[in-house]
Amino acid sequence: MMNPDDPAVVDILRRAMVARIATVSRNGRPHVNPLYFVCGRGKIYLGTTDRTLAALNVKANPRVTVLFNIESEPNDRRVLRLRGGAIVRTDARLCRWYVRSDLRKYIFSRRGFGNSLAHARLLPLVRRFVSSGEKGQECVLEVRPEEAALLTAPNRLGIKRTKKFSDPPYC
Amino acid sequence: MTVADVRVKRITLNVDPLEVRDLLERVPRACISFAGDEGPRVEPVTVLFKDDRYLVGMPSSAASHPTVDEEVVLLIDDGVQFFDLRAIYVRGHVQSLGGVKYLSSDFFWFEVQPTRTVAWDYARIREVDDES
Repeated sequence: MMNPDDPAVVDILRRAMVARIATVSRNGRPHVNPLYFVCGRGKIYLGTTDRTLAALNVKANPRVTVLFNIESEPNDRRVLRLRGGAIVRTDARLCRWYVRSDLRKYIFSRRGFGNSLAHARLLPLVRRFVSSGEKGQECVLEVRPEEAALLTAPNRLGIKRTKKFSDPPYC
Repeated sequence: MTVADVRVKRITLNVDPLEVRDLLERVPRACISFAGDEGPRVEPVTVLFKDDRYLVGMPSSAASHPTVDEEVVLLIDDGVQFFDLRAIYVRGHVQSLGGVKYLSSDFFWFEVQPTRTVAWDYARIREVDDES
């Protein structure tokens, strides 16, 4: 186990783009889904809406486990796993801060902007989808990490191979 | 026009799993989630989709494994930028796997028998008739 403020943990959190958050329902049924996230004040903030399974599960059971990897470096097979407690936050001030941070990270970057531009015709639909409230009110899952572990993602095939590939060096 | 003629539209990201089948042929990142005594557990895994079966390999070094018949969720997802996000989400139960010789012994292998499969592709966001 590692401390959540270990430099290797901080480095992965700084470079990772998509978090996969695992939750369990009131009845103990598992769930995992990918979400965008930002870090701040020693916590992880994941954006979603309050009627998603992730948010409903967190309300019922605050224990969460979250995986991160560095997507821009496919040969880096390190996977960071954080465990902790989460709460669903709907207060306007935090949600506004989250949206600003999310836009900075995902849209107002060179790649994010290019991606949006390439799909400009879909933007009105996205805007309607987000504002429709179909999935409920915007909210943020605030995760307070308690323990961290560095795992190694399995190789992609998992079939028997004769040549052994070594793991990438750890930080 | 009667009330029955009015079609309610909704916006969806969901697609037929066949449309993102390439995720199963070249698994970009995959993980499996199951419930543990101390909350949710999630492990990175490798996935082989063979003869319409989800064969899942978890590193033998993993701290815990799901047990036979236990409910799990397998998530295979890809993409970073908004319109590149795609995924297949499989909820199902663990079945033991025997007699498959080509699988690496470095992994704990099992099959996920799906009870529900959902796929999404953000670049396919569209309006559909609401049939709910």
